[in-house]
Amino acid sequence: MNLEIDNLWVINIAGVEIWITETIYNTWIIMLILIVLAVIIRFKLKNFKIVPKGFQSLIEGAMETFDNFADNTLGEGFSDIVPWFFMVFVFILSSCLFSVFGLRAPTADWATTFALALASFVIMIFMGFKHQKGKYLKTFFEPNFIFFPLNLIGELAKPVSLSFRLFGNMLSGTIILTLYYALTPLFVQIGIPALLHTFFDVIFGALQTYIFVIISLMYIRGAAE
Amino acid sequence: MYNKIIFLAESVPKGRVFAIDTQTLISIGIQLLNGIILAVALGFILYKPLKNFMQKRTERIQSQIDDTDAKMAEAKELMAEYNRKIDDISKERIEILEDARLKADNERKIILEEARQEADEIKKRSLESVLADEKHLLEETRLTIIELASLMAEKYIAQTIDQETQNKIFNETLAQMEGAKWQD
Repeated sequence: MNLEIDNLWVINIAGVEIWITETIYNTWIIMLILIVLAVIIRFKLKNFKIVPKGFQSLIEGAMETFDNFADNTLGEGFSDIVPWFFMVFVFILSSCLFSVFGLRAPTADWATTFALALASFVIMIFMGFKHQKGKYLKTFFEPNFIFFPLNLIGELAKPVSLSFRLFGNMLSGTIILTLYYALTPLFVQIGIPALLHTFFDVIFGALQTYIFVIISLMYIRGAAE
Repeated sequence: MYNKIIFLAESVPKGRVFAIDTQTLISIGIQLLNGIILAVALGFILYKPLKNFMQKRTERIQSQIDDTDAKMAEAKELMAEYNRKIDDISKERIEILEDARLKADNERKIILEEARQEADEIKKRSLESVLADEKHLLEETRLTIIELASLMAEKYIAQTIDQETQNKIFNETLAQMEGAKWQD
């Protein structure tokens, strides 16, 4: 485990050099795992009963918990964007759990967190115009038109702060664990890292996932109201 | 594994922790694309089918609950109707019983009155019969006493007075008896 995000391949498309980083590679692995799991669940869905038990109960419970969380945060009229945030939630959580296995979490790369935050920002603006129409643009000039630059910076800062929050938290866990593995003798690297991984990857990861999603949802709700 | 890949790609640039340059922008674009692909895949494969399944089940359960509520309401209505009918029957029974009781009471009074009248009639007839018997007995006793007195007087007179005196007394007595009978 090292601090740098390694570049695995360099592809040249129409003269443009594209680095396939460790983050992108790990993202594809996570995507593959999630899609395979989704396909398995989709096949099992055919055998789902009216009264859920065991695996079905787990899946339905998770789905219902997320739906209630999204509905309570967003309110009515936002059902179209819930699948996106379902993906964001599952992806960030999977990334955090991914690093339990000693692999670099894609969320420990600012490119990933900014991509997710940028998508949330675009959705926020879209929902703002969809629900408030012209009034949304007016909010940039409130309470007075001279506040427009401040309001604009405030809005543009949202994806930046959102992305750096997640990136910083994930990177801090990665740095601490990398330092631990690099600086401690081998015999201390058995057992104790499990506790560190549990804290930084599982607990911290779940917490950061929740924070990222709830803040994104609140930005969207704020823009739409 | 990564080291092996890096080893194979000798011209690959060195890794970094953070940078804002063209490659970062390209990475952001790729990650955004990855996110969209994953969102579409998860949405179509998992989220929507599962959500539809849960929604349909909720609707089915709600429909069953509504049906049950409707049937329960119907059953309650039927129960109320049956209770009303039972109450009506009970009232009717009480009315019939009351009617029968009144009729029986009237019948009893009529029968008692008839019996009383018949008893009075019998009593009256018996009294008349007793009075008639009493009168008849008194008459018979009187005649018997008269006969006995006559016989006794005849025997006494036969022993004490002659035939002429006897005829005279007989005639006088007969005259007296006729006078007494006439008075009765």
